[in-house]
Amino acid sequence: MHMNDKIPLIREKALWMRRTAFAMVHRAQLGHPGGDFSAIDILATLYFGVMRFDPKRPDWPDRDRFVMSKGHATGALYTALCAAGYFPEDWLATYMQPRSLLNGHPNRNYLPGIETNTGPLGHGFPVATGIAIAGQLAGAGYRTFVLTGDGEQQEGSNWEAAMVAGHRRLSNLTLIIDRNRLQQGAGTEETSGLDPLDKRYDAFGFDVTEVDGHDPAALLAVLGAAPGSKPRCVIANTTKGKGVSFMENVASWHHGVPNDAQFEQAMKELV
Amino acid sequence: MEMVNRPYAAAFEAYAVQHPEVLCLSADLTSSCEIDGFRDRHPDQFLSLGMAEQNMLSFAGGLGLAGFRPFLHSFGVFLYRRPYDQLMASVAYPRRKVRLMGFLPGVTTPGGMTHQAIEDISVMRTIPNMTVLEAGDATEVESIVAEADRVDGPVYCRILRGAVPRLFDTPIRIGQMRVLAEGEDVLVVTAGITTEEAIRARGALARAGVSVRHLHLNTLKPFDAAQIVDHAASVRHGVITLENHLVTGGIGSMVAEALAEAGLARRLIRLGLQDTYAHGGSRPYLMKHYGMDALSLVRAVERLTGQATGIDEDALGAVRIDAVHSIVKAEAL
Ligand SMILES: Cc1ncc(C[n+]2csc(CCOP(=O)(O)OP(=O)(O)O)c2C)c(N)n1
Ligand SMILES: [Mg+2]
Repeated sequence: MHMNDKIPLIREKALWMRRTAFAMVHRAQLGHPGGDFSAIDILATLYFGVMRFDPKRPDWPDRDRFVMSKGHATGALYTALCAAGYFPEDWLATYMQPRSLLNGHPNRNYLPGIETNTGPLGHGFPVATGIAIAGQLAGAGYRTFVLTGDGEQQEGSNWEAAMVAGHRRLSNLTLIIDRNRLQQGAGTEETSGLDPLDKRYDAFGFDVTEVDGHDPAALLAVLGAAPGSKPRCVIANTTKGKGVSFMENVASWHHGVPNDAQFEQAMKELV
Repeated sequence: MEMVNRPYAAAFEAYAVQHPEVLCLSADLTSSCEIDGFRDRHPDQFLSLGMAEQNMLSFAGGLGLAGFRPFLHSFGVFLYRRPYDQLMASVAYPRRKVRLMGFLPGVTTPGGMTHQAIEDISVMRTIPNMTVLEAGDATEVESIVAEADRVDGPVYCRILRGAVPRLFDTPIRIGQMRVLAEGEDVLVVTAGITTEEAIRARGALARAGVSVRHLHLNTLKPFDAAQIVDHAASVRHGVITLENHLVTGGIGSMVAEALAEAGLARRLIRLGLQDTYAHGGSRPYLMKHYGMDALSLVRAVERLTGQATGIDEDALGAVRIDAVHSIVKAEAL
């Protein structure tokens, strides 16, 4: 199958993920919908266009690994895992309820398909670096993908990982940065600026590509390309709250939750 | 019962504007720690460091060295788990006047194990030079700002946010526990949100004929062991500690150490998280599930006295002291 043949499927899954994630947040009256929506096209592209995995065998040694470092965006992650077949759809309705396996932050002891617990930002990229080195040491063929927030890049642990990954030329590692330019309370550039992010990662020894993080074709081209000789950094330019007019680029939707009218309105727009 | 909305926000602002050497630091949890209004109105006294807690702790050490008294705002967990080494070397050892304001203590967050500060008391109280405070109501949240700022050294505070009940009408004073009831059967020791639970239980226990001596702790370090021992010596059946924390290393351990060192033999039941992580969920659900609520306290009293009280959930519902903490809605993340 030609790579671009996968695009309709990716779009269809992404739409379902947005609608479903928002319904989960609406029902629970808890969650992080802004960051869910900026990440969903990236996750849909990975799970339905790029990664090799088998939901029946979450521990399959040759699976490609995905680490969701921005662990607060569980609406995006849980809908992706569900769509990918890791667990039945009716589990989604339990999101954040007492005793649910779908916690506010992903827990690998609860759900198949989660490689490592995240939530405190700045963990995922170093863990992914360890996974990638393990693959190199073992001569294994799997690839490792990790998604961080852009605000998350302010945590120093990322730069320690970047140094190691660049130094060791971990070509089986792809770091994706959800560059929505907002963190929890404000813009990244007015808080503790990250630009020029491309030059920074280039200097750390990464192959850097900037893409439109909501364009499956562009994402597929860079994420699906065969590994080169260096670790890859994909700066995915995204919009926080993407897809719902009143949420786009509004910081308070980081962990804002919709009332009934807002939910109805969003469902009309997400078609 | 009066519920006060965002008591920290107003109290911090009122205090900080009078004290220019106080700086307000945030690591991207500005609105979550109720300092968004302060940021907007007093940008010159506000420093946002981005999401970078290790840097924030050492940076605060530097500010302290230069004579400022930084107030650090984040969820409790992020103030000690990641930046522990920075806390020790840059803040605690040099005795910097750094004020660590830890929001969402224990199970007051639904965020699950990564966000629940359940061993913070245990960690903080073992650090030499550290003072550890915990607010249990709106009045203590309001007065903890000035009180913490009197300390000549670092202070860690467990802070309550959002709608907080007002239980007390006098401010927090470091080292002064509150004696809320002077009964003779059982000694109950609480702090933070568990005090509200114990007050609920007390009403029903009194009707069942059990007389409770109730101490509310707001200063966890320095710990007034002598006073605890005196109170423990004056009850018939023993002591119960109830804490929003692991029972190891926290208030239960502190009381056990005090009794043992004084050679006072009293039975002790420690209620709280029992060597476990907690999963995500609403605060009332988690308190019930992990045995930290009023009914768990009643059952522990029955174990100590050997007598059933006949108290059930309904009896406690009748003395519920506020209707605001709904059973279904969790604290926002
Ligand atoms: C170590 C740590 N500090 C603070 C937080 C609280 N927090 C959760 S999400 C968030 C902002 C994340 O911003 P960004 O990385 O840009 O993510 P996105 O915009 O994709 O939601 C913060 C500060 C946290 N989870 N972990
Ligand atoms: Mg962001």
